[in-house]
Amino acid sequence: MSPRGDREPRGTARQVPVAALQGALAAEHAAVWVYGVAGAFMPATLARRLDEATTAHQARRDATERMLMDAGVPPVPPEPGYLSPEPVTDAASALRLVITAETDAAAAWRSVVERSPADPDVRGAALEALTAAAVRATRWRQTAGTVPLTVPFPGTP
Amino acid sequence: MFQARPSRRQALAAGATTAALLLAGPAAVAGCTASVPGSGGPDPLEGPARRAEADVALAAAVAGTHSTLAAAANALGADRAAHARALRAELHRVHPDPMPSSTVKPPPTVAPAVSPDQAVAQAALTQAMRAAQDEAAELAITLPGYRAALLASVAACCATHTAVLT
Repeated sequence: MSPRGDREPRGTARQVPVAALQGALAAEHAAVWVYGVAGAFMPATLARRLDEATTAHQARRDATERMLMDAGVPPVPPEPGYLSPEPVTDAASALRLVITAETDAAAAWRSVVERSPADPDVRGAALEALTAAAVRATRWRQTAGTVPLTVPFPGTP
Repeated sequence: MFQARPSRRQALAAGATTAALLLAGPAAVAGCTASVPGSGGPDPLEGPARRAEADVALAAAVAGTHSTLAAAANALGADRAAHARALRAELHRVHPDPMPSSTVKPPPTVAPAVSPDQAVAQAALTQAMRAAQDEAAELAITLPGYRAALLASVAACCATHTAVLT
């Protein structure tokens, strides 16, 4: 993905931050994969929350693909394989993985906010996605007993 | 966290690249910010900055009154203090000189009143976070890139505190 392509295409299609949206799409693909893996290590009591998070990321992924296609850009596909930063062997490592995936998604969507034109469509969707990812990360930190539960600037390193 | 690990998979590594590029992004965007009001009404960040400062005071008062709310209130106060610092830094960058006194009210010096009822105090914090989220979210849609991203993070953070409190 080229930063120079970030404002393309101009003219007929609506101006969207292509590189940032592709980054967000890649993060959503990754999150969907992460929840699939993590779910196998979580207790059944968390099944509903895992399903809701998976559904949210799938919906965001699909909506992002549509935004890119509407702009005349082929959406990035999911990676054939992913490598988690640490082996997922139990509920604790699975929780760390989903928190990381949400943190990554928040960063990707913040980038879309920063690079999109001041319109409620793309920016509003990106703000919503950033907020949802940040809230899920906080909820999973609560479940994991991790402190602090919050970060002052979700989406920043 | 992911970014520091070389074993990350490709897409996550791509995310790291994006994050690195972003470090250069804010300065570049801020440098060409033309729509920040240089004259006329108060800077649109003035409201969120003052609100963040007021929330710091409210959180301190709640933490001091209700020990069972202290952890949540102190965490909230710390995050809101970070928001206030970042917003004031951006205001100072654009307006190095003090703004006319007619547009700047002194910050409140009286500690906010806190209900002796814990549930009411907790609801006051939640209400403050919802109001702060709404205000920041609205501005995040219209302001230039760097400011929009800053306020987007502020809005998202306030939403996480609402989640903790409810």
